[in-house]
Amino acid sequence: MGPWVGLPVLLLAVALQTTLVPQIRLWDGGPDLVLLCVLAWALRAPLAESVAWAFTGGIMQDLLSLAPTGQSVIGLVLLVFVVNVVTEQFSRAGLLTLLLLAGIGTLAQQMLMWLLFAFQGFTVDFLDDLGYVIFPTVIYNFALILPVFAVLRFVQRRVEARQLVAR
Amino acid sequence: MVRAWRGNRILFLIFCLLLSLLLIGLSNAGLLGPLEEVASIPLNLLTGVLNQATLALTGGVSDLAELQTLQQRNAALEDALAVLTAELVELREIARDYERLAEMLDYAGTAASQEFVTADVISNDQTGLRRSITINRGTRDGIAVGMPVVTAQGLVGRVLEISANASRILLVTDRDSAVSARLQGTRVQGSLRGQLSGNLRLTLVPPGESIVVGDLVLTSGLGGNFPPDIVIGQVASSRQFQFELFQEAEVISFNNFDEMEVVLVMTSFEPIDPGIFDEMEN
Repeated sequence: MGPWVGLPVLLLAVALQTTLVPQIRLWDGGPDLVLLCVLAWALRAPLAESVAWAFTGGIMQDLLSLAPTGQSVIGLVLLVFVVNVVTEQFSRAGLLTLLLLAGIGTLAQQMLMWLLFAFQGFTVDFLDDLGYVIFPTVIYNFALILPVFAVLRFVQRRVEARQLVAR
Repeated sequence: MVRAWRGNRILFLIFCLLLSLLLIGLSNAGLLGPLEEVASIPLNLLTGVLNQATLALTGGVSDLAELQTLQQRNAALEDALAVLTAELVELREIARDYERLAEMLDYAGTAASQEFVTADVISNDQTGLRRSITINRGTRDGIAVGMPVVTAQGLVGRVLEISANASRILLVTDRDSAVSARLQGTRVQGSLRGQLSGNLRLTLVPPGESIVVGDLVLTSGLGGNFPPDIVIGQVASSRQFQFELFQEAEVISFNNFDEMEVVLVMTSFEPIDPGIFDEMEN
């Protein structure tokens, strides 16, 4: 059921990303809601389910941007694999782990997007992009990971409870 | 068991990454076009609805926040209106003179003869690294790639990608956007490029030319990508370094690209592809 829950959650996240986020940008960076949702869900979900979330969210993001379909997926897939390894090492992901994953994960995803844009011949300027887009996005995601995690954990518990009843 | 799982996990990761790269390759080659078009329909519908709600909400909030300054702005606008009304009378006289001369020369003003399609903005580019918007009009409405997009405040950009019922517009503020422009007052020509900050920069202006702060920046029509004389913005500042070959000027657009709701697509303008001459030579 987890992957199916992802569809409306990620649809809403992508829609907010392209409508609400441009209104609340800090310089040119805004929260990456899809990344936050995928990360928060992956902390407590099986790997295959998290990968499904990463593909769904990434493709939806790319459909509403100039990026070719699949560009956002790479970073999200790498992120869920890292989350899977980290949660395997530490049975419960603590607050610090969550914040670190959000910060480093966002930085990695943004850098990867930047590299792929550069590789495809788009105009890029590393220092400008770092200061105006990438760092503000990291700060936003750092601040928003806890509320997003709380909301998705609530949804996840409801899904788990339903699955138990169904069995 | 754990080793086997780890081995599988790495294979799974490699498979996922290869699949992503395949998607990028197919998308860049345009082979995913029909699928992307179908998948975009529900997303565009949802973002269209949410965009209206968000703009209404943020508009309301900012109006409340600006309530105190509204009276001062109102007074300033009234003063400006009085000045502009006087200018308008003068300009109408000039326009009449121009019309008479144009008739004599059998020259039709381009802007007056343009046809437009009105479109709602349904989403903004989510990456931050690029600047584009999506509108709810496509090939069904007669829109084609390359058509200029404007508002009453001036040039917005041009159609870059298109589907049956939606189009993606590359904004003039994107760093890959270049528009041939000239200053209204001094007729100085240059190339206008988008900046990450959201402003525009007029470049390639010869060093001896005069750039006046406050002068209007218009499309020049050179290159054939845009019709001439569309307002783009206003010169905010200019600079020239001692050993630079060209001058530069910062230009501010009159459009607020983050809060645009409706745009006009110039459907009667056909951009010219200069590459056709190269092909003819070959």
